Amino acid sequence: MQITRVEATPKSGEGLRDVRGDVVRRRLKADHNLDFTKVRSIVGFLINSDIDATLISERADDLFADPIIEFSTTNQTFLQSNNIFDTIPDVVISVGFKPGVTDNPGKAALDGFRTIFPNASQDSDISTYITYAFYGVGDQATPDFIASKLYNNLIERAVISDNEMCNNGDWPMIEYPEKPPQEFKQPAHIDLEISDDELIEISETGLLALNLEEMKTIQSHYRDETIQSSRKEVGIVENQPTDVELECLAQTWSEHCKHKIFASKIHHKDLETGEESVVDSIFKTHIMKPTHDMQKEVDWLLSVFHDNSGVIAWDDEWSVCMKAETHNSPSALDPYGGAMTGIVGVNRDILGTGLGARPIANTDVFCFGPPDWQGDIPENLFHPSRVLRGVHSGVRVGGNESGIPTINGAIVFDERYLGKPLVYCGTVGLMPRKLPDGRESHIKTPSSGDVVYMVGGRVGYDGIHGATFSSLELTEESPSSAVQIGDPITQKKMLDMLLEARDAGLITCITDNGAGGLSSSIGEMAEYTNGCRIDLAKVPLKQPGLSPWEILVSESQERMTVAVKSEDSVAFESLARLHEVEATAVAEFTSTGMFHVQYDESTVAYLPIEFLHDGVPQLQLESEWSPPQHATFVPPTSIDHNSILMDMLARPNIASKETWVRQYDHEVIAQTAVKPFVGVERDGPADAGVIAPIHGNPRGLVISCGIAPRYSDIDAGAMAAAAIDEALRNAVCVGVDVNKIAGLDNFCWPDPIQSEKTPDGKFKLAQLVRANRELERICRAYRLPCVSGKDSMKNDYGKGANKISIPPTLLFSLFGDHPDVRNTATSDFKSPGDRIYLVGESLNELGASEVSFMLKENGTCDGIGGTVPNLDNPEKLFKSYSALSKAINSGLVKTAHDCSEGGVGVAVAEMCIGGRTGANIDLDGTGDESIWARLWGESLGRIIIAVSPENEKQFLDIMSGNITTYLGEVTESQLLTISDGYEEVISTNVQQMVDSWQGTLDMTGGEI
Amino acid sequence: MYIPKVAVLFGFGINCDHETAAVFEMVGGKSTRVHLNSFITGLDDLSNYDILAVPGGFSFGDHLGSGRLMGNRMRFSLRDELSKFIQDGKPIIGICNGFQVLVKTGLLPGPDGNEPDFIQRASLTLNDSGRYEDRWVTLEFNQDSNCIWTKGMTRIDCPVRHGEGKYVMPDKESLTKLSNNNQITVRYIDPNNYTETNRDEVLPFPQSPNGSMMNIAGISDKTGLVFGLMPHPEAIYAQWLHPDFTRGAAPKTESEISWEGQGLQIFRNAVDYVKSIND
Repeated sequence: MQITRVEATPKSGEGLRDVRGDVVRRRLKADHNLDFTKVRSIVGFLINSDIDATLISERADDLFADPIIEFSTTNQTFLQSNNIFDTIPDVVISVGFKPGVTDNPGKAALDGFRTIFPNASQDSDISTYITYAFYGVGDQATPDFIASKLYNNLIERAVISDNEMCNNGDWPMIEYPEKPPQEFKQPAHIDLEISDDELIEISETGLLALNLEEMKTIQSHYRDETIQSSRKEVGIVENQPTDVELECLAQTWSEHCKHKIFASKIHHKDLETGEESVVDSIFKTHIMKPTHDMQKEVDWLLSVFHDNSGVIAWDDEWSVCMKAETHNSPSALDPYGGAMTGIVGVNRDILGTGLGARPIANTDVFCFGPPDWQGDIPENLFHPSRVLRGVHSGVRVGGNESGIPTINGAIVFDERYLGKPLVYCGTVGLMPRKLPDGRESHIKTPSSGDVVYMVGGRVGYDGIHGATFSSLELTEESPSSAVQIGDPITQKKMLDMLLEARDAGLITCITDNGAGGLSSSIGEMAEYTNGCRIDLAKVPLKQPGLSPWEILVSESQERMTVAVKSEDSVAFESLARLHEVEATAVAEFTSTGMFHVQYDESTVAYLPIEFLHDGVPQLQLESEWSPPQHATFVPPTSIDHNSILMDMLARPNIASKETWVRQYDHEVIAQTAVKPFVGVERDGPADAGVIAPIHGNPRGLVISCGIAPRYSDIDAGAMAAAAIDEALRNAVCVGVDVNKIAGLDNFCWPDPIQSEKTPDGKFKLAQLVRANRELERICRAYRLPCVSGKDSMKNDYGKGANKISIPPTLLFSLFGDHPDVRNTATSDFKSPGDRIYLVGESLNELGASEVSFMLKENGTCDGIGGTVPNLDNPEKLFKSYSALSKAINSGLVKTAHDCSEGGVGVAVAEMCIGGRTGANIDLDGTGDESIWARLWGESLGRIIIAVSPENEKQFLDIMSGNITTYLGEVTESQLLTISDGYEEVISTNVQQMVDSWQGTLDMTGGEI
Repeated sequence: MYIPKVAVLFGFGINCDHETAAVFEMVGGKSTRVHLNSFITGLDDLSNYDILAVPGGFSFGDHLGSGRLMGNRMRFSLRDELSKFIQDGKPIIGICNGFQVLVKTGLLPGPDGNEPDFIQRASLTLNDSGRYEDRWVTLEFNQDSNCIWTKGMTRIDCPVRHGEGKYVMPDKESLTKLSNNNQITVRYIDPNNYTETNRDEVLPFPQSPNGSMMNIAGISDKTGLVFGLMPHPEAIYAQWLHPDFTRGAAPKTESEISWEGQGLQIFRNAVDYVKSIND
């Protein structure tokens, strides 16, 4: 074995460019105002194999370089070559991966290497790097500063040549990253007959995230004599847990997996009303119960809560499921890898639903610190613009390479997300109601004796402790092994293969390997048959030497756990071979009642299934509500609303995200009828995504979302209500059938458990109680069942005075039926003469509004306090939504836009932008007396529509009994004028609005 | 009536196989999604089919250049079968990643002779913008082309969804020959400013989404049977997929299918061509 270095660099010439280098140049310009004259790039490969360098060199242009546009060189660096790099660069930086980090280009190169050298030794491997040569640096930045913007030292390494080194021909040479050997350790026994303090110490030093009561529950388990005697029979240590068992319990009982806070018993006090009450599991009381009540009234709720995603019957032939998850902690440490594993991870939840669903659409919602943040950045974290770029690029690569369109999403900005960005990834899945063999696809059918396969990727040291890690707050010492990079192509191959296996009737049970790895995936499936036996020695590893507990809990990506009848094993394995997917039998289902783990012949864990899944004690928590105090937002008396409009359109929370969204494939599968951007120039905002996934059939699905985290500053209950209402409003805008809608609740909260490090835990828990009470109230009124959800409860950075906690945030995602995608509405104004109406009314609810934050930030006003938008009568709104949806999906109304951040003013501006047309609007009579409320207020339940004059009467007939107020007309001119009776408050040109709206988040670094 | 059999290739990250299979069925073909390894291992035989479609996607994650690794698999493991398929006069289409694959295998633009030589003559590389983008473009078809796929096509709107769609052929002579042979089958155009004389001047972004030489969006081989393009005609099989549909302005077609979009005709052309030979 030897290491051979091969490099490729773009040729120059007419029409040829070094695009990779130029992208870096423009990014440094956009983010750091560095103006370099040129950046050139070299891609490098370090090939570790028994193939001779001469042979590799002869074939370099067949594999590593594209001979039409690139040069290649072997066993030297291009920088040494005067003909290709004829000018000496000022700075050269070479970036490669750290040992053991997923190197996708390297993996692909190895695959290609084997095509050309089929006899290369089995342990051949390839590692890649990229070198940037900078010109015209001058004294704009130090080499270290530039390098720090190009790599993440958690997962990558950089070698730098500064100006002097460049002049001396001392070039950066990245070497092959040898993986450090892992030491195999036999399972340790842990003595739990120790003091309480020592129990806690075991939990803390081992990153187990178990509290004292949980540790004591484990302690008493091992004191049980019947347990001890059953352990003796299988030859495992009788009265102590092995490290395998303790790790397995820690993963299974983690907040991440068990949702202990949502399951806790809460003693709730409301100091405002004097109420004292007990909530015995928020989840069961406010989420599960309402959905189960609704399940009795409809026949389309097929599977809720217990599977990897919730399933509804779409029609007689097809069912649809959806799931959303967060990947916040990993995305904070490595935005690219963390976000990518987020999106490909939630795709696996869909593949693991029922007997396997096909992912057909993604949604992404991100919450970041301000992209132009000038203040301090917490230790070890990144500037928000870097987080935005990394997260976006991870989600883009993950979604695009998986062939799943991203059809809906949002990006929200607030300073408090500096410490922990929120990265919500959602996926919609489609499956035939019945498989060819007659089984219903949403029901898993495992039986004792089935063979359990691990399919897809291998297990490595990466991804150990993800579940417990995310159940702790981020600190400077957060471990790098919790961060991984996804491999979408390995997953795509697995997905293709498993869907074929499903249709061939080979699968009896399937689930994803996510948090907790095999311990969770096999452990959860073993509940169906009441037992399993796993042999960890059979699990294929990325590198030898992993100890049993590491194999069991590692969260290495791209793996599914699949059960197959033993007689189908041959067919299953040959299908896997065809697809070049690794599938290894690692376990079997039993009915022994035991989670039985062996390493070869010896038993390393032996836990009762019941104890593993139901043994965790219920938390007892206290919550206490008193309303937060804010200086009231008092709008200034004399101000130019024109300039407010321009400033509002440029606010990151409102500004166009087009340059980012366009980089997602939103049209693969050829189904997307309403795309993320709409209108004449295809740059107006869409309210919801609409797809027609059955080719040739216009029946549709609507996907939308709602999020309003800043309302939590006043009342987290109002925040939750606003998120749900926004999701439904968005769906109504495109004409969803309101009689078949389902929702997902994804809560991201700061730690709500009162403790020394969280002195305001009671308040944060009270926020959670209020949010869930509102969730129940609104969902019941909207007949909107929550079919799946997730919570992430430790979104804090640091401790003590420097602690940053996110604002309590609920993302509400909605999916629903659409009778015919040919009848939808979009936000862009269509034709001059169309009549504009406001559905709903504007109340004096300016508390925590975008305009209040803006005027507070620029010093015009003192505070954001006041009445936050509320939903007093959701039943009434639902009536209005039903009527409007009908008007839209029957084809009467072609223009509709949700009114949210920035109120009517911003909504109408966006409608003009989309239509590249003017409008005359009169706000007189649209609600509260204050023009601020009517122009900028964010009252819920409002949608602006435009209807052609010939359909106007019919529209008004359908809307009768609901508040529908005439606002004005779409005009031929390029002028938006908004008046309040006789007084003109806004008059502005459409192009000016376009410029304001599109400038802020462009961030592309200018001209190509 | 003869029903043409279409092999729609998938595997290794190809991801437009479902819709590509669907559009051939809409125009009277019989589609089978075939994993590339089925042909390589002999589980299935390419000669069982009349048409080969290499759909879009991200084979091998575009690593080492889009289409490269998939192209190599075909070039080194399916060479004889592909050669025979082409010499039997059977149509092949490559869309997006499929186009990249056909260019990297050397099937496009192909040799001067009639037998494929699997030598790469051009490339599809990173867009000048450096960004993968999903956006709609307007395409103009070459009326003098002998390509059987584009017969009768004039101008359509289509989405592009790629990061590496810039067609380059640094050898000027070859590029001129490609143009003179009318192998430049389809170009990006600015519909508001298009003439026969300015069609080769590289358009600015975003009318040209990638900076392709001569605004090339797709090319065919000498026989007109092998065709590849970066944009996705299958993604405009129905009018409701057009971004102007919601404005009541999606282009209509003369098809009997009332909702048919402009892209479907490409697939119908090939199916009809095979029918005309076999009937």
